Amino acid sequence: MTAPDLTEHARRNREFWDGQSADYDERNARFIERGMAWGLWQIPESELQVLGEVSDKDVLELGCGAAEWSRSLARAGARPVGLDNSEARLERARAANAEAGLEFPLLHASAEAIPLEDASFDVVMADWGAPTFADPYLFVPEVARVLRPGGLFAFSGGVPIEWLCFDEEADTVSDRLQRTYFDLHRWETPEGSVEFMIPMGEWIRLFRRTGFVIEDLIEVQPPEGAASTYRSAEETAWARSWPMEQIWKVRKP
Amino acid sequence: MNLTEHAQQNREAWTALAPEYAQNAERAWSQEEITWGVWQIPEADIHALPDVAGKDVIELGCGTAYISAWLARRGARVTGVDVTPAQLETARAMQAQFGLDFALLEASAEDVPLPGASFDLAVSEYGASIWADPYLWVPEAARLLRPGGELVFLVNGTIFMLAAQEQEIPPDEQLRRPYFGMHRFEWPDDDGVDFHLGYGDWIRLFRANGLEVEDLIELRAPEGAARHRYDALPQPEWARRWPSEEIWRVRKVA
Repeated sequence: MTAPDLTEHARRNREFWDGQSADYDERNARFIERGMAWGLWQIPESELQVLGEVSDKDVLELGCGAAEWSRSLARAGARPVGLDNSEARLERARAANAEAGLEFPLLHASAEAIPLEDASFDVVMADWGAPTFADPYLFVPEVARVLRPGGLFAFSGGVPIEWLCFDEEADTVSDRLQRTYFDLHRWETPEGSVEFMIPMGEWIRLFRRTGFVIEDLIEVQPPEGAASTYRSAEETAWARSWPMEQIWKVRKP
Repeated sequence: MNLTEHAQQNREAWTALAPEYAQNAERAWSQEEITWGVWQIPEADIHALPDVAGKDVIELGCGTAYISAWLARRGARVTGVDVTPAQLETARAMQAQFGLDFALLEASAEDVPLPGASFDLAVSEYGASIWADPYLWVPEAARLLRPGGELVFLVNGTIFMLAAQEQEIPPDEQLRRPYFGMHRFEWPDDDGVDFHLGYGDWIRLFRANGLEVEDLIELRAPEGAARHRYDALPQPEWARRWPSEEIWRVRKVA
């Protein structure tokens, strides 16, 4: 298959991630290389029970970065494929896989145009990663296409309420509504990347339109004082009151 | 009838409010078009309801039963359920005035004395969906529905509930209470008890009762919307930016 053309935001996000790959790992790599755990506060999968049994399953990770999750899934008996839009991130993944003595496919592509066959995965997952940086209206149909019947799509990411309360000037979250909910879709960050978020009803309609059944929405409340290399102590304190991270679980019938 | 403590409290509150709502009942009953919520968003624009002709429909917390009336005129066999006798009296007076007859039943939506699997559609708008405990009324709605039947209900916007003021004035941009733990609400200037859940809690409650999520329609005040008479609800300038009302559409698994 030939690589499809990238959308303009996918091209910008590729540059962004190629440019910040080393810094990102410097900040976060040690925090997230700790087995199957989700998101900003690395809540264990054993606690959240999102994926169920993964042994012997074909699993696609969207926006795998250095592939911490895919390595954990491989160790649990899954056959992972890691996809990332940044070659610099995949270099990290290859190096870490070699060090761990693990081998599985790593694919350089955008989640908006997945260069893989229809109905080839039992699970598609992302822990932040691609769903933050790809347009939902493009990547959700792609996930529906590559999943087998009965397959699970589970992914974590941001929450509309945090976007609404984000104070761009202070560069942190506040307790006041600042942005308009009905306009949520695309945000060009000061750092040069493009992030996506859509209203709750838009997510639900998008899942239904693409044939998914909605199984759960886990709104993550971090334990008091939870550690994070992604958020400040003040932001974690905010997230004790309002969700800053949510995990959708949807299934193709 | 064994009522929960909050159902008794809400019956008292609605008994006191009934005369005021009786004044508006005639206008609502006169209306031909089905509309939703304080912005009177036309059903024709949002398609929240299935075709109701020939269907068995129950309205949970019908109040003066204007929604029941709209659906009865479209050929539904309607039953309106309400916990407040004074509201049902208004509904009966409207039935006589408009020459429209359908069943009215005094009961809480948390405990409906009707057999299971007897309705194709359950609907609630500013009714049980706000003043009954979801952990009691949603299982009842699921029980009452036939396989494949739909539950469609309107609630206050989730973000509005986070910003709602303690006093009876419209919200501003300030978040005033946490999202986690949303369930039962009481207010200093209001004798009633109302209930609001977060999105994930709604979804888990639906799934636990065999209901599949079909849609969440977040209502936006139309451009140029007029101010309304409800003191504590968002006015147009707020409701143009954030959802003041939301409609869940769920379906009982066939």
